[in-house]
Amino acid sequence: MTINEVTVMVCDDSMFARKKLTNYILSLGVKACYEAEDGEKAVDNYKEYKPNIVFMDIVMPKKTGIDAVKEIIGFDPDAKIVMASSVGTQNHLKDAINAGAFEFLQKPISNEQVQKLIETVAEGE
Amino acid sequence: MFAQFFGSYLLNEGIVTAPQLAKALEDKKNTKTRLGVLAINAGYMTAGQVEFIHQVQSTVDKRIGDIAVEMGFITSEQVDELLSKQPQDYLILGQTLVNNNVLTNAQFEKALNDYKSFNALSESDMSGDKTDKLEKIIADFYKINGHEDAGEYVTYLTLLFKNLIRFVGDDFTPMTASIIDGANYENMVRQKVNSETVDSCTAVCCDTDVYIKFAERFSEEKLDTADDFVNATVGEFLNLHNGLFIVNQSNEFGKEMTLEPQEFVYSTEVKYDKAAVDVPVAYSFGTVHFILSNV
Repeated sequence: MTINEVTVMVCDDSMFARKKLTNYILSLGVKACYEAEDGEKAVDNYKEYKPNIVFMDIVMPKKTGIDAVKEIIGFDPDAKIVMASSVGTQNHLKDAINAGAFEFLQKPISNEQVQKLIETVAEGE
Repeated sequence: MFAQFFGSYLLNEGIVTAPQLAKALEDKKNTKTRLGVLAINAGYMTAGQVEFIHQVQSTVDKRIGDIAVEMGFITSEQVDELLSKQPQDYLILGQTLVNNNVLTNAQFEKALNDYKSFNALSESDMSGDKTDKLEKIIADFYKINGHEDAGEYVTYLTLLFKNLIRFVGDDFTPMTASIIDGANYENMVRQKVNSETVDSCTAVCCDTDVYIKFAERFSEEKLDTADDFVNATVGEFLNLHNGLFIVNQSNEFGKEMTLEPQEFVYSTEVKYDKAAVDVPVAYSFGTVHFILSNV
């Protein structure tokens, strides 16, 4: 799959964090970048759009990012989810990996890390 | 980060006025440190020798360093050493105050030596980013030694100042903190930080014009009204800083903490049951208050 066929979803309760990450991802020329502002919306959007890669915050209202990952993985065990959070404590890292996330990015997130992950997923599909 | 606390010292001692300091913080990004200030800081030359050389230089077409070496005040090796090092930010601030005619070389020399002896710092202590020395300055500055949570407060504030420099800008002066039992600001973003033993509340507060400017700096975008995007931006700064704090606590001390989603409060009195600390930080665009309290 080439990068312009990739679909992405960004889940973060901060409009600022979503906009910053989404703008960068769109600048890479991906096919689509969906957004979700809480864990519940993230699960709903995943089921609807089945994005190739998801960037997921942890601390969010309604449903945490960790719970959202569990539900998404329950629905699609092959989902590619990257935690993108300010709280990379050891417990959160463990919880995220156990829930099924395949990578953890500590905020502030560098554009290079995001680009690399999207390219890796594109190559694997 | 020593520049900010050196600036605060100069202000508190009445050596500079707030407008002079604010202007110097603004101007310092265009300042290049000169040999005189570097030599005074290193203890290689006195302010009197520097003044003398400047007078000589106005009559001959020679570089300051060459004159100083010819006069026998300093060796050429010392000149090379001073000029090869990356100047520290507090020296750039000092040089700016000298350039702006706020301080003479002699006043700068005295203030710098007094500051170093006041904080028991050597020149090598102040070069680089020595966290233990910064923590000591911060603990002394805020007089939080002896408090039961002193260690955590100091770590939290040291990281806060580093993050302010990293994400918002270094043109600020830390102001004296106060103990409060309530707060009422035009804008407050707060976030709870929970650990096994204690729940704390952190907050960023300021007037609306300062709030917008703070968001502009952090987002690197032009913003003009305090809308949801501005709230989200200031909220994300607090979340990012608190996140880095709890990650450090987890990695260094094995302490596990969690964060709650941020809350926004506008022009409403917030009461604190337990004593809270209000830490004002004076930026060139206005004062931002950081509040820490146990819940």
